[in-house]
Amino acid sequence: MSVIRAPTGTPVPTADKAGKHTQHIDELLRGNPNLWRGCDMADQGCHGRSTGFPQLDDILPGRGWPDRGLVEIISSCWGMGELQLLIPLMRSIVEQGKWILWISPPYLLYAPALVQAGINTGQVLVVKLDTSCKDALWSMEKALQTENCGLVLAWQNWLPGKVLRRLQLAAATGDTLGVLFKHRDSKHSPSPVRIHIKGSQLQRDRFSRSEVTVIKARGNFGPLATHVDLYQQI
Amino acid sequence: MEDPERTKQLSPSLGRIDAGQNRARVVRLPLRSETGVAKATSKGRATSGYVVSKRSHTLWYALYLPQLEELAQSQQRQYLNKLAALMQELSSTISFHPLALICEIRSSLKYFGGVDVIHCRLGQLVTAQLAEWDLADHFLYAVSPTVTGSLLLARSGHNALVYQKDNLRSALGRLSTEVLQLKREQNRRLYNMGVRHLRDIWRLPPAGLRRRFGSDFLNQLNRALGKVPEPTRNYLPPPAFLTCYDLPYELENLDRLLPVADEIFAQLCDFLGRRDLGASQLLFSLQHEKRSCTKINIGLRQPSRSRKHLMLLLETHFSNLSIPAPVTAVKLEVTQFDAFASHSSPLSEKWGRSQFSLQGNELNETGEKIASAPIFPNDSNLNQFIEQLQARLGEHHVKSINSVAEHCPEYASQQADYLEFDTPKKRRQAVARPVALNPRPFWLLEQPLQLSIRRGRLYHRKAISIISGPERIETHWWSGTDVRRDYYVASEQNGCRLWIYREKGANRHWFLHGFFA
Repeated sequence: MSVIRAPTGTPVPTADKAGKHTQHIDELLRGNPNLWRGCDMADQGCHGRSTGFPQLDDILPGRGWPDRGLVEIISSCWGMGELQLLIPLMRSIVEQGKWILWISPPYLLYAPALVQAGINTGQVLVVKLDTSCKDALWSMEKALQTENCGLVLAWQNWLPGKVLRRLQLAAATGDTLGVLFKHRDSKHSPSPVRIHIKGSQLQRDRFSRSEVTVIKARGNFGPLATHVDLYQQI
Repeated sequence: MEDPERTKQLSPSLGRIDAGQNRARVVRLPLRSETGVAKATSKGRATSGYVVSKRSHTLWYALYLPQLEELAQSQQRQYLNKLAALMQELSSTISFHPLALICEIRSSLKYFGGVDVIHCRLGQLVTAQLAEWDLADHFLYAVSPTVTGSLLLARSGHNALVYQKDNLRSALGRLSTEVLQLKREQNRRLYNMGVRHLRDIWRLPPAGLRRRFGSDFLNQLNRALGKVPEPTRNYLPPPAFLTCYDLPYELENLDRLLPVADEIFAQLCDFLGRRDLGASQLLFSLQHEKRSCTKINIGLRQPSRSRKHLMLLLETHFSNLSIPAPVTAVKLEVTQFDAFASHSSPLSEKWGRSQFSLQGNELNETGEKIASAPIFPNDSNLNQFIEQLQARLGEHHVKSINSVAEHCPEYASQQADYLEFDTPKKRRQAVARPVALNPRPFWLLEQPLQLSIRRGRLYHRKAISIISGPERIETHWWSGTDVRRDYYVASEQNGCRLWIYREKGANRHWFLHGFFA
């Protein structure tokens, strides 16, 4: 005689349990190192340096700036808040004891603003504006290769992909972050992160918030945009 | 030589050897001359000349310059150094003493042909140099077998010449006790004891003298008599490095020069290593046929003797150098040496780190707040990098930035050549400077830009609306350019944040002065 179990005895999958199952699968998949997940770099162990703006952290892979490599910041004119975006980063780099090199900035860099932002001016070096493009790129490459330079800022409007790749390599060897400021976006730029800053169209904000678009970031699928109050201190 | 009693104030006339004439009479040396020069100056006296006793192996020429006493210590040292450098051509051992230089001449007597010739040549050198410095051009001198003895004889102004140690005792005996340059108390004590001359001291028992005047006093006398050895601080000539290499054939390609340069740098590094020095300024010159040579000045922020680093710098210089003609020879000269400063690093990185964390824990346990002093990592990498930058871009293209406590916005920031801020102390000072509390922009325009007004609104590229302000700055009325401005923070329609001001003068124009980038 065989005992046949009543169908009532079988476990009935409920909605709650289904949730648990999917969670379980998620964990399994996450634990598998052979599986590459493009959608969130944060879980891939690539933890960036926080930008200091939570809204921007949310849309950047790794929740922050990458540790090394090139970042392009695009704004239609200089002075759209692109430096405000970098203040927390610069502060953390100075605290590490590393140096910041400014290569041919478009205007006079004003020391009191740096002091107000909490950046030690003793660790800031400026290469003058009237340096030729070739020399500026050479200095940028050298600076990126030097470990004592934590951040290299350069103002160059258009650079061929080959040069960018070379800079990218230099940044990888020196474990340094390079930031290029540009006026126009070039679609096929090999830089891992491209960010566009625009003045907000929202009239009621009285322009206090800027629209920051992450056009490209290694690990993101498409452009993501957010509104950030860049001028928090002013 | 002159009689001690008569020639107290004698200032030696130079070029003419007055010592020679009376030599035999006063010091009563067994002088016999073999050289013609000595004979000529002593006008054929049969007794004059020299013989070097086998017992006295050295002969010291003391040069005493009382006129230096008025100068500052550092200048005295500098002058003595300069004179020592001049005297090098006559003697290999020159020692420094207060207001005096003493050189060994025994070893060069035969070469120059006698004391008189040496004295004559030294006299010419020294008087010419003293005249150049606008100092009295006389000096006191003496020659004896001991350093201290020569010094004492020279101080006395007797211009004596003593060849043998045996004669020192009697020669020194004539001198007054003043030449010992004792302290006032000791002088008084000597005087009270009835001691006027050194010969009075010779008669006293040494043990008693030591008890009364200390061992320094007795040592000085013993040294003067040659009884104890005399350590001296000798002049060391400054290092010099100059090397040339003639190329076997002319070279146009600078890259082909690099192996040659590498070889030269290897020589240099060897030279520097032996002397524990570092080079801080080098002159590398490329010579051409029938053209003036191309000079490459290599300046280093930190003295270095690393061949690799120097090669890297030279390569950087070569990379943007164009030569007018093929190179026939290369020359390297070190224009400035400095002491070599080496860095010590922890035994292993891991060990260094664990030390750091230990310290941190200790501080945390005691509950003290750890001051977050800026950590300056090993700067040598950075220095090398900055030197490279300066080599390529030119020295005035790399700037360091600094804030200045100044109300006028244009003057509150200062850019200087990097070299001026190379010490960590200065870096920290830069942080400590106070700045204005009101917001300041990252970018400042070198020349303020006048803004236009259209239909009652301010325009730069787009319409501008004021966000905050005004901040009044009134300053520099004393310099003629009266600064009276009301500063506002404004925003442009495209999202730029601007720093604008309105003049308070007659025109009341609006200007753009910066961007809050």
